[in-house]
Amino acid sequence: MQMNRADFPFLGFGVGLRRPHYAHIIDARPRIDWFEVISENFMVPGGRPLQVLEAVRANYPIVLHGVSLSIGSTDPLNRGYLRELRDLARRFEPAWISDHLCWTGVGGRNLHDLLPLPYTGETVRHVAARIREVQDFLGRRILIENVSSYLQFTDSNLTEWQFLAAVADEADCAILLDVNNIFVSAFNHGFDAHTYIDSVPVGRVAQFHLAGHSDHGTHLLDTHDHPIRGEVWALYERAVRRFGNVAALIEWDDNIPEFDVLAAAADRARAIHSSVERGANSHAARS
Amino acid sequence: MLLALKPLQELLYRLITAPGGVSEGLAEERARSRGDLDALIRGDARLSAVDHLDIYANMYFYRLLDILKEDYPATLAVVGPDNFHNLATGYLLVNRPHHPSLLYAGAHLPDFLQTHPLRAAFAFLPDLARLERAETDVFVAPDAAALDETAMRAVAPERWAAFPLRTHPAVQTLDLKWQVGGVVRAVQDGAQWHAPGHAAVTVLVWRMHGRTYLRDLDAFERAALRAARDGAPFANICEHAAQALPSIDAPARIASMLARWLADGLIVAA
Repeated sequence: MQMNRADFPFLGFGVGLRRPHYAHIIDARPRIDWFEVISENFMVPGGRPLQVLEAVRANYPIVLHGVSLSIGSTDPLNRGYLRELRDLARRFEPAWISDHLCWTGVGGRNLHDLLPLPYTGETVRHVAARIREVQDFLGRRILIENVSSYLQFTDSNLTEWQFLAAVADEADCAILLDVNNIFVSAFNHGFDAHTYIDSVPVGRVAQFHLAGHSDHGTHLLDTHDHPIRGEVWALYERAVRRFGNVAALIEWDDNIPEFDVLAAAADRARAIHSSVERGANSHAARS
Repeated sequence: MLLALKPLQELLYRLITAPGGVSEGLAEERARSRGDLDALIRGDARLSAVDHLDIYANMYFYRLLDILKEDYPATLAVVGPDNFHNLATGYLLVNRPHHPSLLYAGAHLPDFLQTHPLRAAFAFLPDLARLERAETDVFVAPDAAALDETAMRAVAPERWAAFPLRTHPAVQTLDLKWQVGGVVRAVQDGAQWHAPGHAAVTVLVWRMHGRTYLRDLDAFERAALRAARDGAPFANICEHAAQALPSIDAPARIASMLARWLADGLIVAA
């Protein structure tokens, strides 16, 4: 069945669920639309992580966001991993499941990093076939996320956005568009971030990511340890104009500030979204 | 393609995890006529192909180093950051992560320390790391409904002897040669740690209300918990305990021990 973006509800503006905020979220129930959960942190036999997730899930929508699916690897798909992911999804009923368009290991070993792929037709077919297999196994359509990258392969004969669109189309999956990752990779590889945003198929994007990065002079690193930069907010505004009502999520994984700082970033995303929506409505009313 | 996807990923894996960095790994690949990175990865005005891949190599190591530091804070406090850095380097050479979760990346550090040169200065390190690892494992061990005082009171007195008990999945008992519990507690409390005594000790690690705890066991309680580990009737558990420490007033001790087990959530119905 061809993807319909309505399959992915507009959850509003959320933040990543991180350990320093567990007690605050459970006890104070802060005003936030939803939480994104790193799947692997909760693929454990028992204990506090699952208790926390139960308590959070009782009050908020969640989505599961993985980092180890390794959809681009040449290793066979890890069935044990998929079973655990499916069990977690059955227990906590996330709005959706996402992971990254990358490979994280080979030969049965894990690099615990998100490595880019050569952007070729052959890779599109390889990855798309695996995404379809995962979707069949999980019984649901997944989202794949564009990663920040620090190298490009000489073999690539597609742009990154062409590759992303081709994989999503051939796998019939949705896209988690990470706006900061576009900015980081655009700087690192010298492409135009606007062209990227303007080229991604509108009907496939079901979630945005927003995050901070660090500047190392010769390259940017997607470190999720700084506030979101103005240029990334501007890109987000462009993305909202193009893609419309798409849920947005603030990621912050290191030097994690007070929850209110993340909530304020989510509010800023909401304000941009509202402003774009108002502009679109007044334009429609005039014409 | 210059390289099909599988050999490309295998080459990048070897280079990213090369102990001396990408350049050194590449020299080794070239010696085997396997590596020509410029033909695979685009260099640019800012960074060469090697520089680009080195970004991943650095992130690989430092991400895992951070995880090991998080999992073994007392080991880190004892050996210091420089020694720990070198320890992690050596460890990751022979214990490459396999599991999708970082939770298991440091699982073999206690075994690795058994033959590590740092033992010359800190002979207690393997025991210390073992205790820290046990805390991690207990933290995420399976859930189970622990018996409490109300549940035990509901058991008719004539059924107590045959009533089967088992330790909760989030309970471990460790036989150690060094009294390292104090080191773990000191580091957790942000206090100065002191060299542990060299004496055999059994440490109980358990989880209650989502937190892990540890305390030393005497021979009586150790024997009782060991008997309960695989599930045993209450009478057998008591018998094992009494045999381990015959000089003690067994009935009184069993009563206080059981009360503590129930309060701490250590046992389940087998």
